[in-house]
Amino acid sequence: MARRTPRLRALVMASPPVLVAAAFIGLPVVSAVLFSFGYFGGFNSILAEIGQHEHLVTGTSGTLDAYRDVFGDSEFRQSLWATVLVTAASTAVVLVLSWGIALYLRLSGGRIGKMLAGLAVVPMFIPVVIASYAILEFYSPDGFLRSLAAAVGWSNAPVYGYTMVGVAFGQIWTNLPFGVLMMTSGLNAVPDALIEAARDAGASTARAVRSVLVPMAAVPTTIVATFTAIGVIGSFTVPYLIGPSAPNMLGPLMTYTFESFNQPQQAEVMAVVVFLLSAVIGAFYVRANLRGAKETKR
Amino acid sequence: MRMLIRRAGLAAFLLVFALFVVGPLAWLALRAFSGTWQYPHLLPDSWTLKWWTQVLDSADLGGSIRLSLVFAPVVTFVSAVICLPAAYAFARYEFPGRRFLLVALFATNAFPKIGLFLSMAGVFYSLRLMGTFAGVVIVQLLGTLVFMTWLPAAAFSAVPRSLEEAARDAGAGPLRVFFRVTFPLAAPGILVAMILSFLASFDEAQGTYLVGAPNYVTMPSTMYELVVNYPGQVAAVFSVLLAIPSVLLIALVRKHVMSGALAEGFQLR
Repeated sequence: MARRTPRLRALVMASPPVLVAAAFIGLPVVSAVLFSFGYFGGFNSILAEIGQHEHLVTGTSGTLDAYRDVFGDSEFRQSLWATVLVTAASTAVVLVLSWGIALYLRLSGGRIGKMLAGLAVVPMFIPVVIASYAILEFYSPDGFLRSLAAAVGWSNAPVYGYTMVGVAFGQIWTNLPFGVLMMTSGLNAVPDALIEAARDAGASTARAVRSVLVPMAAVPTTIVATFTAIGVIGSFTVPYLIGPSAPNMLGPLMTYTFESFNQPQQAEVMAVVVFLLSAVIGAFYVRANLRGAKETKR
Repeated sequence: MRMLIRRAGLAAFLLVFALFVVGPLAWLALRAFSGTWQYPHLLPDSWTLKWWTQVLDSADLGGSIRLSLVFAPVVTFVSAVICLPAAYAFARYEFPGRRFLLVALFATNAFPKIGLFLSMAGVFYSLRLMGTFAGVVIVQLLGTLVFMTWLPAAAFSAVPRSLEEAARDAGAGPLRVFFRVTFPLAAPGILVAMILSFLASFDEAQGTYLVGAPNYVTMPSTMYELVVNYPGQVAAVFSVLLAIPSVLLIALVRKHVMSGALAEGFQLR
């Protein structure tokens, strides 16, 4: 009895944040999935009343008609493709930059390393809305990049405002601090002795990095990759402000579909597609974490 | 020679990287004080403060500033009430379902934001939470749950058990031990979590706009309309204003963030 009471109390204490998440994340997600297949009972009833172009079912078997609508629309297919491309490209760049900076800081350190790391966390200080607007202006037709190019005699330098390249720049910019912080802390956790042992055994720096640092930092690397990818897939502000009107990423498209076109069912079909994409990515995150937790288990 | 090329390459990278990160912000800050600015000049042609008075005098914009300053503390407080006991439990006890709860909590991070917000909007219509104060608080709260639980949990587990035991041996009850020993020692970590939670709420734009508009339009969600409806300089002034609290508060916790404590918060233990 004396042992059981504190355990039960601990469970009760630990539950509230998970219950809040279950109520306001779990429940809406389940409702959205049901609604996308045409079930309109319960929490979806009001949505079903106000929405247009809906495919609702009364029986137990759902319908794929809303999915047919969405996948039959070429704008959606283009947006899906754009989303996948931007996500892959910006995740890759964030990974390379944060690995590079963290590695430089770990092996060389010094003033330049500190400057790089200091610069890389600056975006954390700035709200995403502002960053997006600033990036849009910076690469606009009368922005800094074009002005600088004109000053050195290049009068038709590219414009990245309202383009997908600009969106990718914005995604890299906003996701960089997390990547760099995570990789810096991950590489710092690798003991000096291990790197030196590899070097003593005759390994070059590149070899020591490949055979010691890369495997030892696998968990933080996975976390950076998955978090960045999920963050980019689920972003709205960056593509909405920086991107073209169409085809843009899925974030703006599903918001327009929900609010402006008043087609909540089609919007939630897109949300489900995005959930599926990130469920695949999220599985890697949870797996890497569980493996990491086992290794460090006290 | 190779050394020289390496150094030049590094310097060039540093310059480009600095421009990539800081350039857009500096460019926007200049715009907030610019009268006329003709392409392709690298600096404004004339300077003015009139955009600042325009922003500060506008009732709409002023109202959104006030609204942001109401939501952020409320969300931080609610988040602390919900998460701090959980943080203590995760740090100090082994209990059935601990692992499951941890994974469930972390899974909240694995939902792409905009899809989640749209799904929430569907349920919020039924619960009559669309366009309400409580609805906005809930949307902003969800972004704070994970680190409001995890950073304080790390702070609690860093308090040596021997200190608590010593206090207990000296005759202090469990509550007294908590408030006189454990809490004061964990306070800095908790403070960092609260500041980050305040900022997460203060900076949240997309969910707040979806759920709160048109009744509750906070500072960041005002930006969406501002960019379309006002001259660029007004948006620039507003941006500088909106960035001030973030810069000040994050500067306060900079050491803690850079030390890797934040990164640790994203790994299950």
